Amino acid sequence: MPQVRIVARNFMDMVAALPAAKLDKLYDSSFICEAVLRSLPPLAKKYVLQMLFLDSPLTAKSMEEWVLPDGLSKHKVAIDRLLQLRVFMEVNDRKKEPSYKMNQKFQSNMQKYLTTGGTVPREPMPLNAAVRLPSVGELETYAMEQWECFLLQLINSSQVDKSTSFSSSMMRAFQRGLLNSSRDNEAPRLTENGFQFLLMETNAQLWYIIREYISSAEERGMDPTDLISFLLELSFHTLGEAYSVNTLTEVQRLAIKDLADLGLVKYLQGRKEGLFMPTKLATNLSVSLSDASSRKEGFVVVETNFRMYAYSTSRLHCEILRLFSRIEYQLPNLIVGAITKESLYNAFENGITAEQIVSFLQQNAHPRVAEKMPSVPENVTDQIRLWEADRNRVEMTPSHLYEDFPSKDLFEACCDFARDYGCLLWQDMKKMRLIVKGGLHQQMRDFLRGQR
Amino acid sequence: MASAPSKLYQDDVSLVVALLDTNPFFWAAASLPFSEFLHHVIPFINSLLLLNQLNRVVLIATGTSSCGYIFDSGDGNASGNSNAVCSGIIKKLEDFVGKDSKIGKGSNGDGTRPAISSLLSGSLSLALCYIQRIFRSGTRHPQPRILCLQGSPDGPEQYVAVMNSIFSAQRLMIPIDSCIVGAQHSAFLQQASYITGGVYLKPQQLDGLFQFLAAVFATDLHSRNFLRLPKPAGVDFRASCFCHKKTIDMGYVCSVCLSIFCKYHKKCSTCGSEFNQAAPDSTIPDQKH
Repeated sequence: MPQVRIVARNFMDMVAALPAAKLDKLYDSSFICEAVLRSLPPLAKKYVLQMLFLDSPLTAKSMEEWVLPDGLSKHKVAIDRLLQLRVFMEVNDRKKEPSYKMNQKFQSNMQKYLTTGGTVPREPMPLNAAVRLPSVGELETYAMEQWECFLLQLINSSQVDKSTSFSSSMMRAFQRGLLNSSRDNEAPRLTENGFQFLLMETNAQLWYIIREYISSAEERGMDPTDLISFLLELSFHTLGEAYSVNTLTEVQRLAIKDLADLGLVKYLQGRKEGLFMPTKLATNLSVSLSDASSRKEGFVVVETNFRMYAYSTSRLHCEILRLFSRIEYQLPNLIVGAITKESLYNAFENGITAEQIVSFLQQNAHPRVAEKMPSVPENVTDQIRLWEADRNRVEMTPSHLYEDFPSKDLFEACCDFARDYGCLLWQDMKKMRLIVKGGLHQQMRDFLRGQR
Repeated sequence: MASAPSKLYQDDVSLVVALLDTNPFFWAAASLPFSEFLHHVIPFINSLLLLNQLNRVVLIATGTSSCGYIFDSGDGNASGNSNAVCSGIIKKLEDFVGKDSKIGKGSNGDGTRPAISSLLSGSLSLALCYIQRIFRSGTRHPQPRILCLQGSPDGPEQYVAVMNSIFSAQRLMIPIDSCIVGAQHSAFLQQASYITGGVYLKPQQLDGLFQFLAAVFATDLHSRNFLRLPKPAGVDFRASCFCHKKTIDMGYVCSVCLSIFCKYHKKCSTCGSEFNQAAPDSTIPDQKH
C-alpha cells in the first residue's frame, strides 16, 4: 500500500485520488497515459520504461538494487507515486514478498506508442477561406488577455472592464481560500493563500483554478473523469489549428465555453459550425503537470539600489508588484518602483514570506538580467530576508516575575514546580528571582500559599 | 584523470545527440542485422521524446568517410505522425550510406584498402558543434549528452582527433555515453565515457538492445546521481604515438606540447620545438662536472 497520504495539492494528486475503477477507465486513452507518464518524477519515468516490455512482476527488493544508497528516499517517492496512480500494481507472490507489475492497459498503450508512434486526438479542420483564423501571435495575446481579465476579476471584481461569463457562484468557489470578506460592506481582502497564489507562476495558477473547476464539476452535472480526460487531451492538440466543435461530446461542449473564458481555447464561429483553437496555455498544460520551472519571459529588472523596473503593461503585474514594492511611476511600457522597508513590512503583514518575493523576482527576471548570476542582486535578496527576520527578533510571552523569596528552599521548590509544568522561563539563583509563564500564575499562588 | 561532475539541474529536460555507426563493412558481418538494430533504436528515440515534451533528440550517422545529420526532433515538421518520421529517418539513412560509399571510393581510388573503421572523430565534432550552438541560443536550454552507438573497431589514425573531442566535451561538461554493438571493446569510447562522466556499456545480448538502452541510457543527468549504473572493469588508457599511430606503453614526450612519439625525434612535429638534448647513446654532460 502506498505510504504517503494523498493531499490533493496539485492536479496529479487529484487524478491519483480518483477511485480505482475510474482511474483504470482513464487509462483507456493513450493521451492520458502519456500525460501521466510525463508528470511522474524522473526516477519513476525510468522505472516505467524499464518495466514496459517485461511481463512478469519484479520484486521490490530487486528494484531497490537499481539505486544507490543515498537515492533510496527518491526511490521510495517514485514507487509510491507509481502505486498511487495505479501505474504499478502490487502483486503478492507465494513467498509473501511484495512485487510490482505494470498496469495492463497502461502497458499496452505505451508499447503501442513506442512502436508505432503517437497520434493526435482529432484531426484539425481543413483551411477554409470563409473563416479567417487568428495567427499564433494573436492567439497568444488573446489567451493572456482572457487570463488576466479572469485573475483581476478573481481578486477584485470592481476593477475589470468586462467580466467573464462565469456565474457568481463559480467565482465564489474559485475565490474560496483566496479571498475572505472581513466585513460585509468592505471589499474582500486577499488571504495569505491569496497572495501566494498571485505570486505563483501562470501554469501553477492555471492548474489551481482547473482543480477547483473540476472539484465543483459534479454539482453542475459533469463527470469529473470526463473533464480530466478532456483537459489532458487538449494539451496534445496542435497550436494554431482549428478543430470543429462537432467532434466534442456534450460535456466537452459545455466545458469549452468555460475554458474559452479562462483563455485556454478561442471559440470561433465557422461557416456551418463552431470551431475552437487551443492556445499556448492549453498546449503547455502537460508540460507543467508537476511543479516545473517557468518557461515564459520575465519582465522585472532589480537594481542594487533597490529600484525596480518592470517592462510590462499589464494591470495584473502592477497589482502584484504593488503588493510588496512602492510603485513610483507608470509609463506606457514601464512600471518603475522601489523596494522599501515600509512596502516590505506591508507585505509581511499580509502573510507573504521573503522567500516568495525573492523567488517571484528571480522567476520573472528580465532576459537581460536573467543570464547574470545571480539574477537579482544579493544585497537586495539579503536585505529582504533580513527585514523579514527583523520581525522575528523579539518574541513576547506574557509572564510573571517572582522575587523576594524568604528562603532558598522555597525558591528551589518554586523552580521545580514551574519546571514540572513546563512554564519556567528564566531564573536567577543568586538573587532568587523567577520568571514564569503568565498562565501558571494562579496555580503558583496556590502553591506558595500551600508552602507557607 | 578525474571524471567530470555532471551539472545539477532541477529539470529533467535533455538533449540527446545519438551517433549511429553506419559502417557497411561492419554491418555486413555483424550478428545483428542493421534493420533489427534500427527496430531497437527508433522506439528508444520515441521513448526519449515521450518522457518529456521538451526533450530533443538529434541523430548523426557515422560513416566511413563522412558524417551527416539524419534527424532533429526540434524541427517543425518532426511532430505529428510518427510513421512518416520513421520512414523519413530510414530513407535519409539510405541516402547517406549511398553518398558515403561514393565518397569513400572516390578519394581512395578503386585499388586501395577500404577503411574498416568509422569516422568517430567527425561525428563527435559535429555533435559538439551542434551542442555549442544550443548553448549559445539562450539561457533556457536542455541538458545535453552524447550517446555513441558504435560497432566498428577504433581507427588508430583518429586518436588525436578523438582525444581532442573528448577534452572539449569534458570542458563543456557533456557526458559521452557509449553502447558497443560490435564484437570488441573500444578503447577510445572507454576513455571518453570515463573522462566525461558518461556510461560505457557493451550489452551481452543484442536482441535485448532496447531494454539495455531504456534501462541505462534513457535517464536524465540529474537522476544519474542516484542510480547504480554499469561501471567498466578497467579502462585502457594507453596512448598512441603521433608519428605512427601505434598504441605504446613507453615513449618520448615533447616537453612543450606533450605530444607522444615512439622513436627519438630531433624536432617535435606538432609544435616545432627543437630538442637540444644529445642523443640517448652519447655521454650526458652532467657527468663531466
